Formats: sequence, structure tokens, C-alpha cells
Amino acid sequence: MTPLLLAPLGLAALAALALPLVIHLRRRTEEVPVDFAALRWLEAMPRPRRKLQLDELLLLALRLLLVALLALLLARPAVLGWEDDGARVLVAPGVDAAAAREAAGPEAELRWIAPSFPELAAGAPAPATATASLIRQFDAELPEGAPLTIIVPPVLDGVDAGRLRLTREVTWRIVAGEGQADRPGPPASPALAVRHADKQAQALRYFRAAASAWSDTPRFDAATGSALPPRDSVLVWLTPGPVPQAVGDWIGAGGTALLGDTAQIAMPASSAALWRDAAGNALVEGGPMGAGRVLRFTRPLVPAAMPELLDPSFAATLRDLVSPAAPPPGRVSAAAHAPTDGAAPFPLPPRELAPWLGVLIALAFLAERLLATRRRRFAP
Amino acid sequence: MARGPLAIPPEIRSRLKRLRLRTRSDLGTGGFGLHPSRNKGAGLEFAAYRAYEPGDEPRRIDWKLFARSDKFFVREAEQESPVSVWILIDASASMGQADRARPDWSRLDAAKLMALCIAELAQQQGDRFGWMSLQEAALSLAEPRSGRAQMDRLQIDFARLVAAGTFPDAATLAPLWERIGAHDLVLFLSDCFDERGIALIERLAKAGREVLCVQMLTVEERDFPFDGGYRFLDPESGEALIGDGKALRDSFFARFAAARAALAERLDAAGIRHATHVLDEPVDLPLRAFFGRGGAAE
Repeated sequence: MTPLLLAPLGLAALAALALPLVIHLRRRTEEVPVDFAALRWLEAMPRPRRKLQLDELLLLALRLLLVALLALLLARPAVLGWEDDGARVLVAPGVDAAAAREAAGPEAELRWIAPSFPELAAGAPAPATATASLIRQFDAELPEGAPLTIIVPPVLDGVDAGRLRLTREVTWRIVAGEGQADRPGPPASPALAVRHADKQAQALRYFRAAASAWSDTPRFDAATGSALPPRDSVLVWLTPGPVPQAVGDWIGAGGTALLGDTAQIAMPASSAALWRDAAGNALVEGGPMGAGRVLRFTRPLVPAAMPELLDPSFAATLRDLVSPAAPPPGRVSAAAHAPTDGAAPFPLPPRELAPWLGVLIALAFLAERLLATRRRRFAP
Repeated sequence: MARGPLAIPPEIRSRLKRLRLRTRSDLGTGGFGLHPSRNKGAGLEFAAYRAYEPGDEPRRIDWKLFARSDKFFVREAEQESPVSVWILIDASASMGQADRARPDWSRLDAAKLMALCIAELAQQQGDRFGWMSLQEAALSLAEPRSGRAQMDRLQIDFARLVAAGTFPDAATLAPLWERIGAHDLVLFLSDCFDERGIALIERLAKAGREVLCVQMLTVEERDFPFDGGYRFLDPESGEALIGDGKALRDSFFARFAAARAALAERLDAAGIRHATHVLDEPVDLPLRAFFGRGGAAE
């Protein structure tokens, strides 16, 4: 345990110690009138006193202490190595709270692996996305030597590419979680909804062919007009001219739209080329718009202008373009992901003593007030 | 004044029982029966009639004379004791000084209580006692008598007495010389700061009266417990002196002790027995010094 000052310049406030000293200096001008019949035996011209005199030494001492404590508060005192070395237990989301309590014992202090590490009693948090990162953070902030137990479900979610390498040896316990429903994977193939003008029917065939290539039961619908498909479909908007406001709103609310080159729309500023031909010229450009995505062909959908329409890889490329990005792999078998030790420990920030000092200052202030306002002080 | 009548505290009263008012002549050769007394009082030899005053004992009323004249008369006979006791109380403003620690107990209060003790002593042994309060404006005076009534009069007089003014001058004091008889015992209760008071008792002593002097001092005059800046005010002259208590202390002690030694020398030279009373001491201490066993200070 090493005491230290985080802001030693604050000690300059000790200069304020002169204040109570000045207050307590005997006031020379003070003249208490007093009857004194034996006046004639008083020497009329007493030598003026040179020595400094202080009144009420106890009160002065208290006031000096108060000022010194305040100066100390400004200097931000702290101690190093004054940490709680008690055992901690972390519970990964997905573990049943009752089962975790049973596994850890009734006295243990259990915390969820979630931002700010809430208590177990606070209820299960939302499924974590950065479990491994949170475990590393908790381990780094823990004082050296404090034992750590981590309770995880058989399948751990939210890990990242790095193996868990912690500063201490961790007890890694696998507890059967509550029936973990598999998250529904993304559908095998996107649904296409083509909206086109009457004379554009020849471009339809490429999309129908692509849909047929994706799945045996192609989800494809084509219509003229501007009826909007459900949100999970990909809107292929081939109608030339300005894109209606309704379509823009549909995209902004989270839809994905692929526009023909004749559609007029203000492309988002962050749009970039998403598909280039062999020569490096952009075929499709686009970017996020609101919560959705907008893509646009840069060439007319005729093989003469865009030979890639006839390319065997067109269907696969189109699917990659319109499918939403898959989440990064973050699921691992807990048994295979037990953390190793050996990471260099992190220096812990010193613990500040401001709250304790505050209590001390309040007590000193109270005592000073009591002493300064007691009745006997004002008695003649 | 809102204050009740003075009362002698029980422990002092019990100590008073052991004292007797004695004059110097009693101590020496003045034997019993040597001189016939000329003083009036309750006794065997008839001296005079006088009108009844409230407070006189009913048994001293001459009932035969009442039957004849329909008025109350009191027979006065010659008293056995030749001594009448005079209590001279200095009531100048300086006597009103009290200590800050006990502001309701002034020199004058102590002097009144001491006078009451003396009156009680006189009363116990049947001596007559009278008093004068010496004040600038007027000399209030009570002829020496004995009896309860005199005691009550003393209480009433003292209740009205407030310290003010300076010591009376010679003209105001003139009646004093007519009243105090040649062998009377005079007790002078004063702070003895005023030259005129000392001159008065010196003259009285020279004129053959036995004078006892009690100097009343406050605790502050003895201890000088001042620490810090003070404005010292003389209640009589109105003079003021500003000074630091601690710085003044040593010189005050020296000068005041010298003044008191000079006073003691003067009083000794005049044959005046004297004692000092400080306000935090029991009020009967000087009386024990004067009248205690052997007549010497304890």
C-alpha cells in the first residue's frame, strides 16, 4: 500500500493556513471596558507588547486541521495496492441464473458478462456480442492475485478471433444453459421483387434466371406500377425517371433496393463502386441510405452494354450484392475455448481517497462549528 | 432594589457565635465595674422615658404610664455595657465595583453583609449599634440603639443604599463628630482608596475612639487576571487608562503592594487595627481577626 498524491500542486493551498492564524492573532485594538477603582496604581504607559499572541488554541488547531485537510483534498491523495482480493465469479449471458448460483455457492459475488458488469440479481442482460473482450477487460481491471471464476454455457457466444489469454489462471466452468434457441439463420436466397415499366420486360429475364439459379423454389415477383414488396424482399426498381418518395422512404426504413441505370435518385454521399468489370469500371455502385441500402446499375441492362449479364457468375454476384452482410463468426464450444494465463498484468490505477477525506473534513468542520458557537465562548 | 433582605449565611452565623465584640479597654485593664455607665438601654437603673417606636419590645412598655397618659412609653434604663458600635460604610462609587466573574457581588454588598454580622454580634451581647453611610451627597446616619427594631432599620437602610458619588468632604462629615462618643467602637468598611477616608479614621483614632478598619478589595485587584486589551475606568474620577492586562500586571502588583504597605504603616502608626477582605473570602474572616480568641489574626 503506497500513499501518493495525484495532484501535488494542490498542496500549494496550504498557504491558506495563514488565514486562521491571522484570525486568531490577538487583536490589539480590542478594549474591554472594566471598572477599576485602583486605577492610580496602574502604570500609565505600559510598553507595547511585541510578542505575537494567539487566542483559543484548540479552535485554532481545529481550523488549521480543516484547512490542511482541504488542501490535501485538492492534492488528490490516493493509495496504490489497496484492493479487494476477494474471489469474483463472472457469468456469461445464456447461463441460467439459478444454475450459476448453485454452481458458485450462495455467498459468491456473481456478475454478468455485460457492459459495466451488473450483479446477477439485476436480471439476465441482452445477449452479449463481445463476451471475450469483456472478460479481458474484467481480468485487466482485477487486482493481481484475486481469483476469478467464469461460468459459461456449453456454447459460448460473442468471442472474437483471439484466444482468451488472461493475466491469471481462471476457473472455467461450463454449466448447461437455458435451452439456447438457435438464432434463425439468414434465408438461403434473397427474394426479388422487380418493378418495371412496360417496355422493359426484356431485362426481367436476367433477374428471374438469377432467382431460379439461387433456389429450386425461386422467390421472384415482377410487376409494373409501384406496389412495394415486404421489407425482407429486395426491390429491383427498373422504372425510368425519378424514384417516387414512397420508395425512398421504404429504403430509408431498412429495405434494400437495386435501381436501374435510368432511375433518378440522389445517391448517398458514401456510395462506392460495389461491382467492377474486368477492366475495373464500376457496374454497380451504392451505399447505406437511412437504415437500408441502395444500389444502382451504372449501365443499361442489355448484354451489349453489360456483358456480365450473360456471365455464368452473374447469379452468384447478384446474390452477394443484395444479401445483407453475415455476422462475423462468434460462437465457439466453451470446452475448447478455456482461457490460458500468462498475459502481462496491467498496472491498476491508484485508488483515490477523496470520499474518506470528505467525511473527515465534514467531521472536522462539525467539531469546529461546535467549538466556535459554544455558549461559554461568548460569556464575558 | 429588587433584592431581598440581606441574610447571614448559616455557616457564618454559626461562626459568629464564637466571637465577642471587645474593645481594646476590655482586653487590658478595663475591669468590670470600674466606670459607671452613662449609656441608656434595658437595665435596672432608670434613666429616662421615651416614646414607643415600632419594633420595641412590648415588655419594655411602661403600662402604668400608658394607663395614665394613653400613650406608649418605653422605660429606658442605664445599660450595663458602655460600648456602642459605629459602623461606617463607605458608599462611594468605587465601592460598587464587582468582579467580572461575580458581577452581582460588589464591595458594597460585602460591606453590608459584614455590617450585618457586626450588628448581629452587637445584638447578641446587648450592645448598641449605629451606622453611617458615607456618600458624597448626604451622610445617612442611625443613632446607636439595640434591639430588633434597630436590626430592621438597618435592613431597610441598607436596601436603599446604592454606591454612588465620591467620598464626602469634611462639611458633610461634621455631624459625625457630634455623634461618636469617646469610648465608642468604630468599624470602618471601605476600599481605603480615598485619602479623605484614611484622614477621617486617623482623626477619629487620635480623638480616642477605637477604630477598626477593613479594607475591601476585589479579586481582580488581588489577582489582576486581565489578559488582553482593556480600558480601565475609575468609577469616581471617570479617568480611563487603556492598556494590555499582561503588560500592566507586574508593575501593578508592585505598586499596589507598596501602597497597601504604606497604608498599613499609617494605620499602625495611628493605632488602628486593620484587616483586608477580598470578595471571594468569607465575610467573617476580618471579624475573627479582630474579635477572635486572643484577638489576633488567625
